[in-house]
Amino acid sequence: MHNPFLHNVWLIARREYLERVRTKGFMFATVLIPTLMGTLVFGSLLLMTTSKTQSHIAVVTSDQNFGTDLRHQLEAGRDADMKVDVYAPSDAIRDQLVREIHNRNSTLAGYLWVTPATSPGKNPDLAFTARSVGDIATKTTLEVAINSVLMRERLAANHVPAADIDTLMEPVKLDTSATGDTTTAFNAAYMLFFLMYMVIMLYGMNTARSIIDEKTSRIFEVLLATIKPDELLAGKILGVGAVGLTQIGVWMVGAFAILNSGLSHNLSPKGHPIISSAQIGFFVLYFMFGFLIYSSVAAALGAMTNSEQELQQLNMFLVIPLAFCMVMIFAIIRAPDSGLATVVSLIPFCSPLLMNFRISLTHVPAWQINLSVMLMSFTVAIILWFASRIYRVGILMYGKKPSLVEMLRWMKYS
Amino acid sequence: MPIVDLQNIRKVYGSKVAVEGLTLSIEPGSMYGLLGPNGSGKTSSIRMMIGMTIPDSGTVNLFGQPFNRSLLTRVGYLPEERGLYKKMKVLDQLVFLGSLHGLDTSLARKRSLEWCERLQIADVVNKKTEALSKGMQQKIQFIASLLHRPELIIMDEPFSGLDPVNAQLLMDELLDQRARGRSVLFSTHRMDQVEKFCDSIALISRGKLLLSGTMREVKSKYPRNRVQITFTGKENLAAHPAVAEARIGEGIAELQLYNGDDACHLLADAIGYGTQITRFEVTEPTLEDIFIENVKASFGDADSGGAVDA
Repeated sequence: MHNPFLHNVWLIARREYLERVRTKGFMFATVLIPTLMGTLVFGSLLLMTTSKTQSHIAVVTSDQNFGTDLRHQLEAGRDADMKVDVYAPSDAIRDQLVREIHNRNSTLAGYLWVTPATSPGKNPDLAFTARSVGDIATKTTLEVAINSVLMRERLAANHVPAADIDTLMEPVKLDTSATGDTTTAFNAAYMLFFLMYMVIMLYGMNTARSIIDEKTSRIFEVLLATIKPDELLAGKILGVGAVGLTQIGVWMVGAFAILNSGLSHNLSPKGHPIISSAQIGFFVLYFMFGFLIYSSVAAALGAMTNSEQELQQLNMFLVIPLAFCMVMIFAIIRAPDSGLATVVSLIPFCSPLLMNFRISLTHVPAWQINLSVMLMSFTVAIILWFASRIYRVGILMYGKKPSLVEMLRWMKYS
Repeated sequence: MPIVDLQNIRKVYGSKVAVEGLTLSIEPGSMYGLLGPNGSGKTSSIRMMIGMTIPDSGTVNLFGQPFNRSLLTRVGYLPEERGLYKKMKVLDQLVFLGSLHGLDTSLARKRSLEWCERLQIADVVNKKTEALSKGMQQKIQFIASLLHRPELIIMDEPFSGLDPVNAQLLMDELLDQRARGRSVLFSTHRMDQVEKFCDSIALISRGKLLLSGTMREVKSKYPRNRVQITFTGKENLAAHPAVAEARIGEGIAELQLYNGDDACHLLADAIGYGTQITRFEVTEPTLEDIFIENVKASFGDADSGGAVDA
């Protein structure tokens, strides 16, 4: 390496990389982040699929059959594990239920008052009085259960055999074994989105912090006696970025090891990989651009400020575009090929997250990918140009925070 | 051929003139003292000397060539604001800083260990920097600036914060460097060290050069008109017509005469008055005297007309 620029960048990047990778913090983050994320994702999935509504309600109906069916549906149904009391309507019962629902010691969550339909073919009037107006789970479960009981009764009244009714009431399953499970693939894309979001945020801030560290420890002066601020900036961004890539690499390898170990045949049925190698390629490409864009912004922020507290005040410049991507992701999920999705995913600050997400969801035309790469490269060049100027002057300024006017003046200094 | 040659350099930050028309040159193998009160432009001048900032006008020559960055591997710099990577181990840190100056890793490691041995900090090479005392950190930075055997050594306040034993240790090393033919520039407030060891000095105040030259040249401009007297008994020294300024303490008098030649009259008159004199010495002004006199005058000038701070 005879080019002094490359040599110095290499030295700075190597130090930054080695010092960071060796820290306990890096080890912890590498192990803890996927563990926590996995626990959260799988934990919430598990809770969602296994938890059942367990309220205690009363059903008041003159139709004995309807009462029994509904009770059966609610006490032993697919997603309910309720306790149901069935009563025949009377004024005494009404008084008792009203008393109970206002009694703090009672477990009654609500009561359903069924008034039979006035004409055949109509649904009965259903009035539900809940202890708490916010009890949406009980209400929803009840609605689903009543619907299915009514449907069963009506089908039975039309002489449909019981076996047919059972089959009809089963949820359908789409066989996607030819292409892999859509839901799993979607979840994987979603996870990759969050992974990139977190890593860009984390390592962008790390770049800024590392600059502030050097400012507070005043080692800059020694470094600047032999190397140029541009070399320092480039080395720093590359070094911190390489740490981020290493971390992602470790996670990817770990994920592959788990997937191939046979632990997860049910996660990836019929041998279709959850994440394709093309997806990984795009992920790495877009991660690098995302990191470059956000860390150069962060480097400029770091050069402008003197302490982490001051940095905190400015980090909205990093958070707002990322939060915007977060909001946009819902629009993209619904219509990944819409004009809106295309436009926002071409915005250079959003491309790393959104274009990559779209690539996972749909078939993005090559021109859009090329255009986004071009726009991002252009943006990176501009931001680096500004950042290196701010950096050049800002790192030698201690103490007072520069005003906007002063910062513009810095652009002129060489 | 001077090692450092600054011609009429000027640097303005916004509306503040940091350095105004500074010209100085440092000869090979000499020890050069850069003096000046706080905020006088010493650090700004040094930064321009090593290309950390670029002068608005004027020229900087190093080793007889116009400044270019490749010359920096021949310069060792200890900044006034000390700084090291706190979390890095001492040896790793030295090797890193050495390789930034163009050394390869194994050579940087070998020299670092030698230097640590020399400066009596060999036992801490594997400790983290933040665990060390301030004096030790300063030694490490001192070593870092010398690892690549620079021909020009620039040290901004190298002894501030050091105890006398360690200050002496580092001073001896700098003298040793000079003996090996290297040029040393250092800025300091400690006039006694400058007076004892420097071959040449420059005094700047408010960004302007007040005086410069070899120690002899500077001092020869000032007459031998200081008198130090140790005495007992009564005295009437301050009232003598030859005395311009007097500082009389308990048994000691420091006098400044209008004319050094009057010293023997002063002595005769004092003995005649009945003062018992045990020591009577006529000296040239100390560097400290010259420093204070010039700096005070420079601030007086500024007040009466030439505004340096706009």
